[in-house]
Amino acid sequence: MANMVKKANAFEILNHWVMAVSFIILAATGFGFLFHLEQLNSIFGNFNAMKLWHNWSGVVFAVSLFFTIFHYLPVSLSLGSDDIAWISKAGGYFSKKAVVPPQDRLNTGQKLLYLIVLTVGTAIAVSGLIIWLRPAAADIRKWVLLSHLVHNIGFVLMVTIIPLHIYLATLANPGTFRIMVYGTVPLEWAKKRHAKWVQKMGF
Amino acid sequence: MTNHWIDVKNADVILVMGANPAENHPISMKWIMQAREQRGAKLIVVDPRFTRTASKANIYAPMRSGADIAFLGGMINYILKNRLYFREYVANYTNAAYLVNPDFKGPGQLDGIFSGYDEKTRKYDKKTWAFQLDEKGLPKKDMTLKDPNCVFQLLRKHYSRYTLDKVSAITGTPKEKLVEVYKTYGSTGKPNRVGTELYAMGWTQHTVGTQNIKAMTIIQLLLGNIGLAGGGINALRGESNVQGSTDHALLFHLLPGYLPASKASLVDLKTYIEKLTPKTKDPKSVNWWGNRGKYITSYLKAIYGGNATKDNDFGYAYLPKLNEGQNGSWLVLFDQMFKGKFEGFFAWGQNPACSGANAGKVRKALTTLKWMVNVNLFDNETGSFWKGPDMKPQEIQTEVFQLPCSSSVEKEGSLTNSGRLAQWRYKAVEPIGEARPDSEIMNELYFRVKKLYQKQGGKFPAPIINLTWNYGEKGADGKIKKLDIHRVAKEINGYYLEDVFDKKAAPPKQIGKKGHLATNFVTLQADGTTSCGNWIYSGSYTEKEDKVINMMARRGKKDIGGLGMYPEWAWCWPVNRRILYNRASVNPAGRPWDTKRAVIKWNPNKLDPKTKKPAPGWDGDVPDGPAPPMADEKGKYPFIMRADGMGAIFGPGLADGPFPEHYEPLECPVQENPLSKKHRINPTVKLFYGTTGPHDEPKKEGGSAEDIFYSCDIRFPYVATTYRVSEHWQTGVLTRHEPWQMEMMPQQFVEIGKELAAEKGIKNGDKITVSSGRGKVWAIAMVTDRFKPFKVMNATVHQVGLPWCFGWQYPENGSGGDSANLLTPTIGDANTLIPETKAFMVNIEKA
Amino acid sequence: MSRKALVISPELCIGCRGCQTACKSWNQLSAAKTTNKGTVENPPDLTPNLYNKIRYVEVPSESNPVRWLFVSQRCMHCDDAGCMKICPAPGALFKTKEGAVGFDKEKCIGCKLCVAGCPFNIPRYDEKDKITKCNLCSDRIAEGLEPACAKTCPTGAISYGDRNSLIGKAQGAGYQKLYGEADLGGLGVLYAFKDAPKVYGMEENPAIPESVIFWHKVLKPLAYWGLGGAVVASLVHYVAFGPKKDEEVK
Repeated sequence: MANMVKKANAFEILNHWVMAVSFIILAATGFGFLFHLEQLNSIFGNFNAMKLWHNWSGVVFAVSLFFTIFHYLPVSLSLGSDDIAWISKAGGYFSKKAVVPPQDRLNTGQKLLYLIVLTVGTAIAVSGLIIWLRPAAADIRKWVLLSHLVHNIGFVLMVTIIPLHIYLATLANPGTFRIMVYGTVPLEWAKKRHAKWVQKMGF
Repeated sequence: MTNHWIDVKNADVILVMGANPAENHPISMKWIMQAREQRGAKLIVVDPRFTRTASKANIYAPMRSGADIAFLGGMINYILKNRLYFREYVANYTNAAYLVNPDFKGPGQLDGIFSGYDEKTRKYDKKTWAFQLDEKGLPKKDMTLKDPNCVFQLLRKHYSRYTLDKVSAITGTPKEKLVEVYKTYGSTGKPNRVGTELYAMGWTQHTVGTQNIKAMTIIQLLLGNIGLAGGGINALRGESNVQGSTDHALLFHLLPGYLPASKASLVDLKTYIEKLTPKTKDPKSVNWWGNRGKYITSYLKAIYGGNATKDNDFGYAYLPKLNEGQNGSWLVLFDQMFKGKFEGFFAWGQNPACSGANAGKVRKALTTLKWMVNVNLFDNETGSFWKGPDMKPQEIQTEVFQLPCSSSVEKEGSLTNSGRLAQWRYKAVEPIGEARPDSEIMNELYFRVKKLYQKQGGKFPAPIINLTWNYGEKGADGKIKKLDIHRVAKEINGYYLEDVFDKKAAPPKQIGKKGHLATNFVTLQADGTTSCGNWIYSGSYTEKEDKVINMMARRGKKDIGGLGMYPEWAWCWPVNRRILYNRASVNPAGRPWDTKRAVIKWNPNKLDPKTKKPAPGWDGDVPDGPAPPMADEKGKYPFIMRADGMGAIFGPGLADGPFPEHYEPLECPVQENPLSKKHRINPTVKLFYGTTGPHDEPKKEGGSAEDIFYSCDIRFPYVATTYRVSEHWQTGVLTRHEPWQMEMMPQQFVEIGKELAAEKGIKNGDKITVSSGRGKVWAIAMVTDRFKPFKVMNATVHQVGLPWCFGWQYPENGSGGDSANLLTPTIGDANTLIPETKAFMVNIEKA
Repeated sequence: MSRKALVISPELCIGCRGCQTACKSWNQLSAAKTTNKGTVENPPDLTPNLYNKIRYVEVPSESNPVRWLFVSQRCMHCDDAGCMKICPAPGALFKTKEGAVGFDKEKCIGCKLCVAGCPFNIPRYDEKDKITKCNLCSDRIAEGLEPACAKTCPTGAISYGDRNSLIGKAQGAGYQKLYGEADLGGLGVLYAFKDAPKVYGMEENPAIPESVIFWHKVLKPLAYWGLGGAVVASLVHYVAFGPKKDEEVK
């Protein structure tokens, strides 16, 4: 039996699933609102119910996002020359023979994704809260319009980037998806993909 | 109105003065705006305040409250000086050519009064106001209008004192504005131009109220505007059926149809008719009031039926009689009540605690009553007077009965509007709870009083017991089970009690069949063969070819000449004549002065519609009598209700002078009348305070402390007026209970000019106190450009205004405020005693 | 069915506010408790129970103490309606066959974005956050009657009818161009102004907020393109480059 190392703990796995599921609900209902997709009524019942699903999924997403901060922020912020080299090689995804520099617990792409989700996710969550709760403010119209814009820009970014993330985390990089289910990966696989981390951890 | 609402659209110039139709008669603005948009008519508004009506005016002239006669006198002067009057009309249709007693003197010669004034009685001996008579007993005339004693020259002399400088100094209106108004309105003196004027309480509620209207009448006669479409003298009545109320004699001095109420000295019907029927020696004067005897007799037959016969003087003895000089008008009534002269009081569909001038005195007066009946839709400041501010309920002995009554949509009947148009209304919903129509309450009251009289006897039961009162099916006890309002309407119209014949025709022609409804008042008789509850309404509910028609319920939309007369829409008095004095709308030959707006036209080729034989007659509106035009040998003068048939420029019938003269209001901002050193106020007004000069102690005879007034006094330095608002109705008894209305207009306010506000440190929206010699109210300050200070006699005079639609009783927490009438004085017009609530003096302070 | 509209003529309006009351009567709206703040204008703003109101506008005048204008404020029933554009709930705001913008509280989700999307700040929301505003008496006009406000107005300051005929009539009365003829696809409520709109307190060039236009024209299509593009790009990449095999990683 191959040696397995723990890449993600139970909490991280749960949090990731929560975020993923809430995101899918948010994106689907978001599309529903944007394009008046009445077909979704077969799932949600009516648009009033859909709004409840959207708003509370948003709360769940925001809470999940909040916890995510503590897990990956330090490693994501430590960007070095290896990361820059990774970026210049486009992560090795546009060549069959590309070689990338050794990667940390999160590879550069994952760090970048994390930072994007953090910023865009926070922007979406805050703007969503403003639209929903409309706190008593001086020029509520200006804030609502701004929030509406930010929320939708964030939406466009998310529905573009997250499908790519799903592709990269499944088909494009075999062996990655099992982290989200079992939390463990073979040591050999980790040595190749996250050399710096393996070294740090002393496996 | 001599004309009617829709007719306003026919005018070339519309003068709105003493009124604010955009707020208080919004639907009339439809016709005013149509005149403006469709024929380029000019709207002139003269008002102390820039009102909603003024916002639509072509010319707005500011004027201090109480200076109307100065303003209008200046206009008369301008019209005469610039020869803008319609000479042919003036010479032929008015008494301008009449010669007056050469001993007649005017205020210009007698420092403010006319000849014949008695200082003690405060009355005029009118001997010197009489016309000179010729050998036939007819007034002497000078058709050249040049004789120094002719009315025209006396008019010129009288108003020559109303120069532009003088008028501007009195009114506070800039001279250029005066000229602009005079010139524009004066342009309607041309035969093909016509001007109308619209007035309301802003003119009537002054000590010179009647003369205000008289001044405009003179102007309209000078310009030839009376009897024409788009002209006339037009009062905007303040309530949807107050015209009906005066027609049916709600006022103490009248019987229905403006017959004079009887008095003790008129001992029998013969004397009544003798003394009160005007006579004329002029065969060309119709003198329609000459028919007085027919109407009073028919009235007595209507109300006393079979109990009114030749043998008992048609029941004349049953009519209530006034004592000589007795006055039962509002101010006198409440003064008497205040002095404890009344046991009981019916406050029927009114709210005197808020609507009465000097409302504080009225409220105190109510405390003297043993009982009161408050008939209204809602409880109000009157019914609950004893709970009001400053009241001590434990000291009040009044028993109050509240009788809920129906609103106008909960009953059937007619309403008569300002244009004399009686329109039948239908019941839309049942009244709620125990509310009942007023007629049913009266019916109930009548039968109970009658029963008491029958059982107990009394001082004089006959006038009550003998009333016909056939307004419905009677039960075995003689009481009407269900009142049929149509029967009331029919009694008002009148019946032929016997077959009636026109005895002047040969052979005598039958004009009425026994038992049938009367056709109109022309067929009424003085011999007891006809009955009629109100002669001016005869013809309103009648029969045509044995078919009974409620003329007031008609809704025909055919018009005459596009003038908006709609003769088949409902019915107006008299005899459905839409424009009064329309014989003055044609020249003496019967041709319209203004062919484009012909009201009537003499048609020599007219054919009788039935016989097709030639029957020359009038086309158009119902003419003022079928007689041929004046120039014809059988022709008649146009002003048929006046004994001499002429429009009165010189009016010796009024108490305070044959010509209007400017007098200051009782409370005014100037030390003396700019036109007279001796007579500041109207010299014939009844003084409640017992003196013309303000003192801090009431004078010994008759004056109550409550009637105190202050004039040109630094304690009350600002002119005040009262007015209404679109959003509320009268004292607000109904509308304060309507949340949609309260939302728009929730609280008492006072409009004050920016300059005055700055002086007093008052900001827009501040709660301030407005006080007068008689009381005070709080009001929200509306600081606005719409009131600007006036320059009066070289001094700056500020004016403020408040509405009178609020009362302490509702909203229950008093958040609405209280009536502006707590401020107004106890004084009224010299002729009618209508209270002077439009000009008095106040002070304002931050609350 | 040709488009219907209202023409508001401040030159004819006398500020009687019969229109305010008639609207409340027809729609059975409740009243608020107000106070007098030194003006006749009350309530101070449109509310969920006040679909139209008269603004009392004072501007300087040369010949008079003031020029007093009475200007009706209400939903403009825009052809290109900002409220409809931004609304996420289908059927909550809809166009009637006469061209009015109606609302359905049941379908409204209470997000209140319409308030921000309206160039005229008209929609208000009730205690359940549901949108309320003038719906041009859509039940009355569907039966061929005129809106309650137009029927009540004594001077014809509010007139209802076929949009083109109303414009023609106004031109005949001397108004060269009505406010709202072309704005926002043509407003359903046109104003006959004698002077510049700002004299009457109205926006000179009313427009839907730029961010909403950007969102509608750019962001919305981008959402589909983005999602679809990401999926397609992933597919293409997989076919072209395939998965990253460990043997190739150093």
